[in-house]
Amino acid sequence: MQWTRKDLLSLYDLSAEEIEFILDTAAEFKKVSERRVKKVPALRGKTVVNLFVEPSTRTRVSFELAEQRLSADIVNMQAQSSSLLKGETLLDTVRNIEALQVDLVVMRHSAPGAQAFIARNLKCGVVNAGDGAHSHPTQALLDIFTMREKKGRVAGLNVAIIGDILHSRVARSNIWGLLKLGAKVTIGGPATLVPREFEDIGVRVCHNLREAVEKADVVNLLRIQHERQTAGFFPSIGEYARFFGINHDTLKYMKPDALIMHPGPINRGVELTGDVADGEQSVILEQVTNGLAIRMAVLYLVAGCVKK
Amino acid sequence: MTLRKQLFAAPEMDDAISRMASSIANAFPGENTVCALVGIHQLGVPLAERLRDALANLTGRTPEFGKLDISMYRDDIGNRNPLPLIRETEIAFDVNDRIIILVDDVLSSGRTIRAALDALTDYGRPRMIRLAVLVDRGEPEYPIRADFVGFNLSLPADRKVSVSFGDGNSSGGIYEVDWKK
Repeated sequence: MQWTRKDLLSLYDLSAEEIEFILDTAAEFKKVSERRVKKVPALRGKTVVNLFVEPSTRTRVSFELAEQRLSADIVNMQAQSSSLLKGETLLDTVRNIEALQVDLVVMRHSAPGAQAFIARNLKCGVVNAGDGAHSHPTQALLDIFTMREKKGRVAGLNVAIIGDILHSRVARSNIWGLLKLGAKVTIGGPATLVPREFEDIGVRVCHNLREAVEKADVVNLLRIQHERQTAGFFPSIGEYARFFGINHDTLKYMKPDALIMHPGPINRGVELTGDVADGEQSVILEQVTNGLAIRMAVLYLVAGCVKK
Repeated sequence: MTLRKQLFAAPEMDDAISRMASSIANAFPGENTVCALVGIHQLGVPLAERLRDALANLTGRTPEFGKLDISMYRDDIGNRNPLPLIRETEIAFDVNDRIIILVDDVLSSGRTIRAALDALTDYGRPRMIRLAVLVDRGEPEYPIRADFVGFNLSLPADRKVSVSFGDGNSSGGIYEVDWKK
C-alpha cells in the first residue's frame, strides 16, 4: 500500500494496514537516532508549528526532537502566550498560522475533535497530539510499536490497560489500535473509572486487578491524575494503590514475561512501585525512545501528502 | 496499456553482471576485504547480491554488503505523493575509510544517486565511493557518472527502462516500457 493521508487524527480512522505501515516506517526511523548523524533531510524546508493549547512537556519535547531530526523548521506556540487568550477563535488562530506558509500543525487541545475541525478547514497537515479524553494516536502507536518489538506480534496478545479509563485518551487510542490489529484488550480499575459500556466494542472489563492482569502479555498502567479529574472517583490514593497498584506481590500471579508499560509521568507508589518501574519487565523508557521514532514516521508520512 | 519490449534476455544480463564483477575486481585488486557493496532499494539490492556472489567466485573473498533506502533523503517529499513504504536500510559494517561501491539497476536522472551519497555519508566518511549500474541511460540531469556499467542505452526520455531479476515464473531481463500508452 501507499500512504495517502495529510492528517493523523485518530487510530479509529485508520485501517490495520495503515497502522502497520506507520509501525514499519517507524522501525526505519528508529535506526536514524542510533546513528552517528541522528538527522535526515526529509523535511528540509518545511515548517511545523507545535500548537499546544493544553500544557504538555514530554509529548511536546518528543515532537520537537522528532521535527529537528527530520530537519524541519519549528515554531512553538503555547496557550499562555497565544492570542487565544485575547479572544481570537481557534480557527482564526490556525488560519493566521497557515497564512505564514506553514506545512504542518501539531496540536494538543482540551476539546475533543478540535484537530479534526482544524484539519477540515486547512490545507496544511494536522497531527493530533491529544484532544481531551478522546484520542492520542501517537502515544498508542508508540505503545503498540513497543509491544510488537518486544513480543514479535500484536495479533493474539492479551493487553490489560489499568487505571482511569474514563478520562483517558491514551486508553481509547490504544483500544482502537489494538482491536484493529487483532489483540485482546482488557480494561481494569475501580468501577467508577472503568465503565461497562466498553464491552460493546469488544473489550473485557474487570474491576479486580488480579482478574485483569493474570493472563496478560502486556500491562499498560495509566497515570492517576489525582491532582484533577479523579477527585471523588475513589476514596483515597492509598486505597487505589492497594487495590490497583502493581507491586512485587502482584508480579507473582502475572506472567513472568509480561511487559510493564506506562505512558508517564509515573507516580511511584501509586500505579506501580519503584522496584516494578525499574525492574526487568518494565519497558517504560523504551516507550519514550520509540515515541521519537513513531513521531518522526508520522510527520514524514503526513508531510508527504500535504498538497502545495 | 503499456508497451513492454524486451531489450536483453536473462543470459545477456548474467554476462553483463559477470563483466561488471571482473571490472570491479580488477579496479581494486587485493582490496575486496576493504571494499563493500551497497545496493539501493529496490532493484539495486538484488543486483548488489549478484555482484557480491560473482566477486566471491572470482576472488575467493566475499565483500561486505549493505542495503540502502534513500526515501528520507529525497528532495521531492510532498511533490510526489502518495509515499511508498520505506525499505530496510542495513549497513552493518564501518563505512569509515572503506571503498564503497553503490549499486543501482538504472542510472537515469542521477537524483537517486545524489540522495544515496548524502545518506551514505551520514554513516561515516568512506575513503572512496564508486557507482555500479546495470543500465546507464547516458543523460543524467545531475553531474553524476557511473564507474561500472552493464549496458549503455540511449532511449527517448518518455521511455522507461525496467529491470527484472526474475522469479518463479520468468527468468528476468531488461525491458523498454512506453508509459504513455
